[in-house]
Amino acid sequence: MKKLLRAAAVAAVAALALTACGGGGAATDPSNVSPTGEIKPREISWLLSRPADGAVINIMKKLADDYAKDHPGFALNLITTPDRPSYIQKLETLAAANKLPELFDTDATPFAQQLAKQGKMVEADKLLKSLDLYDDYRPGALDYQRFDDGSLYMIPFQFELEFIWYNKALLQKAGVAVPQSLDDIPAMCTALRNAGITPIAIDGQDQWPLERYVAYQPFRAAGPDFVQKLKKGEAAFSDPAGQKTVQWMAELGKAKCFQEGFSAQGYSDAQNQFTSGEAAMYNIGTWELPSLATDKLNPDVRDDIDFFTLPTTPGSVTAANEFVSPSGIGMAVNSKTYDPLVSDFLKFALEKYPAEYAATGALSPTTTVETTVPANATPLYKKALETANTLGEKQAMPWDTQLDPTTNGRLQQELVLLVQGNITPEQFTKTMDDAIKQNAPKFFK
Amino acid sequence: MLPNRSRTSVLVFLLPPLLLYCAAVLFPILQSLFLSFFSWNGISDMEFVGLANYVRMLTADDIFWRSFFNALVYLAICLVLQLGGALVVASLLTSLRRGRELIKTLYLLPAVISTVAIAFLFVRIYSIDPVGLLNQLLHWIGLGSLERAWLSDVNTVLAAVSAPEGWRFTGLYMLIIYAALIAVPKELEEAAVLDGASKWTLFTKIRFPYIRPVWITTTIMATTYGLRGFDIPYLMTNGGPGQSSELLTTYMYKTAFTSTDFGYASTIAVFIVIECLVAVGLILFMLKRKADS
Repeated sequence: MKKLLRAAAVAAVAALALTACGGGGAATDPSNVSPTGEIKPREISWLLSRPADGAVINIMKKLADDYAKDHPGFALNLITTPDRPSYIQKLETLAAANKLPELFDTDATPFAQQLAKQGKMVEADKLLKSLDLYDDYRPGALDYQRFDDGSLYMIPFQFELEFIWYNKALLQKAGVAVPQSLDDIPAMCTALRNAGITPIAIDGQDQWPLERYVAYQPFRAAGPDFVQKLKKGEAAFSDPAGQKTVQWMAELGKAKCFQEGFSAQGYSDAQNQFTSGEAAMYNIGTWELPSLATDKLNPDVRDDIDFFTLPTTPGSVTAANEFVSPSGIGMAVNSKTYDPLVSDFLKFALEKYPAEYAATGALSPTTTVETTVPANATPLYKKALETANTLGEKQAMPWDTQLDPTTNGRLQQELVLLVQGNITPEQFTKTMDDAIKQNAPKFFK
Repeated sequence: MLPNRSRTSVLVFLLPPLLLYCAAVLFPILQSLFLSFFSWNGISDMEFVGLANYVRMLTADDIFWRSFFNALVYLAICLVLQLGGALVVASLLTSLRRGRELIKTLYLLPAVISTVAIAFLFVRIYSIDPVGLLNQLLHWIGLGSLERAWLSDVNTVLAAVSAPEGWRFTGLYMLIIYAALIAVPKELEEAAVLDGASKWTLFTKIRFPYIRPVWITTTIMATTYGLRGFDIPYLMTNGGPGQSSELLTTYMYKTAFTSTDFGYASTIAVFIVIECLVAVGLILFMLKRKADS
């Protein structure tokens, strides 16, 4: 009866989501990465959250076609929802309905960890080791996908570095230099504002870009562990590292670092402001290299654009070469539908993927291939790629993949209020510490 | 009175839509009521918590109350724009001799545009950087001091997200009220004019009482639509900044699909159903009392 009610409960919401995926078979052992038996070609689905005409999808489509030549009847059905919040809702609904397809994208979120705990995902480290590919991956790319306990359930398809891009001419006009410390940024914003320049262009609508900033000070002051503790309530915003970021965010707001009305502006609005020479800085990752470091970039600003990596602070416990270096949303393998065919296709695709991906000018999550710099690239392109070779060991995790979803939502809302000056740092601290206290225990028990 | 046989056949034909209604409306409501007694994140086992979700909602959730009051303000703005606007436009239309059809069509146009397009349109209109239509207009008429980022300002955002919804449906209600107004018998109006009634008296004593049943229907429609308002605020601001434009519906949606707290989201859903029923009851009660007096 309980099962029936539960199934009925999700039926309505599931109807809104996909009908294309699903799959039979009893639950299997998530650690059994080498299923035995005959390879029976069929259509398998990958529910993903990546740009529809992006490199990952194009390459996987081609690899699937190649595989189908030797395995008639095989097809890879790629179902993409690039808008991350909508995607997450779709994923969670399908998970609730127990209708996840063979492959699906997810970050190392608390929700994904619950799925893993229930044995719904194949152990990725074992899978990669069984395919003899584990050692090819950059340790940082795999670490980004790991849960707190070090277990690995997602396979990375990208490797990105996040920089603060800046316009040399605008900085010069305002008489400021590249900040030596994170603490220099508010004063820098004031100088830029006085010169009539928008200091930082930000996509406020999607909320995660502003959430990046809150992670920076604690990463420098207390290292990558801070957020791991914070999310479970073992650390708090009222701690010294927490207070440092709260005060800093308020200072950024007071110095009017972000464009006016930023909370209602989107991704392309922010990018346009920077590439049109209106804003002096823009914090974004190497996935934007094609638009920031090639001849597609507006010729008026092309020679003025450069980047710096996350500044350190006095007494920083992390080094200058350690910053946000995500390997993108990961791909999980559904243990319920994992069979010889899925295993064989993954072996085929994952072996061939890095070379194809590097040829598009992107950084591969493996170290086995060299990225091709496109013919229309500016010198900055190569400089950005080379930064990957000097990367340190620790990486700053984006907080939106770390906190439980309710606290995360509240943080995103309160941050805007803090930066706009609608609430005081004290109010922010209290609201957030209360939110963690209330929501974390349910997720991290 | 229908003969027995045709009454049976009417009942038989009414049955399929009734069953469909039960499956599509009543069953989900009962389902929500059932789920509201549980704590459930969608993937773990459901845990019976009794009335705990209701206690939390009513006593310990500041966002819930904030969303509730926001929803009331949103409703008030929508009603004024939709019903007030519709009544004024419809009354003016009745005294117009030419171009009625054109004006009706123009007013109705927003009702057929997709919500997403309207949301994006208004985001642009309210924008400050680049300067949107509203701020541009204010600048032109010399009210430059009022220019602001309407959707980022906690004091203006709620009105800013309510206006598009009101603007959108004014034409629809105008059409309904206009149809009622032209059905008012001319003899009644002429008799009143002969007795020396002013235009205002004519409207309050003859026209409005005559269209009262239609007015009640449109009020109920506009109120329930307003209480269920979701898409435009969600698309324009996602409830922000902070919780300044969070409505009960957007909060319920986020609780279910972002926080994966299906039990608590169902509790909010039950509250919305009750709220709609209470609102309709109140409207009927107030208008009936007025009619009786």
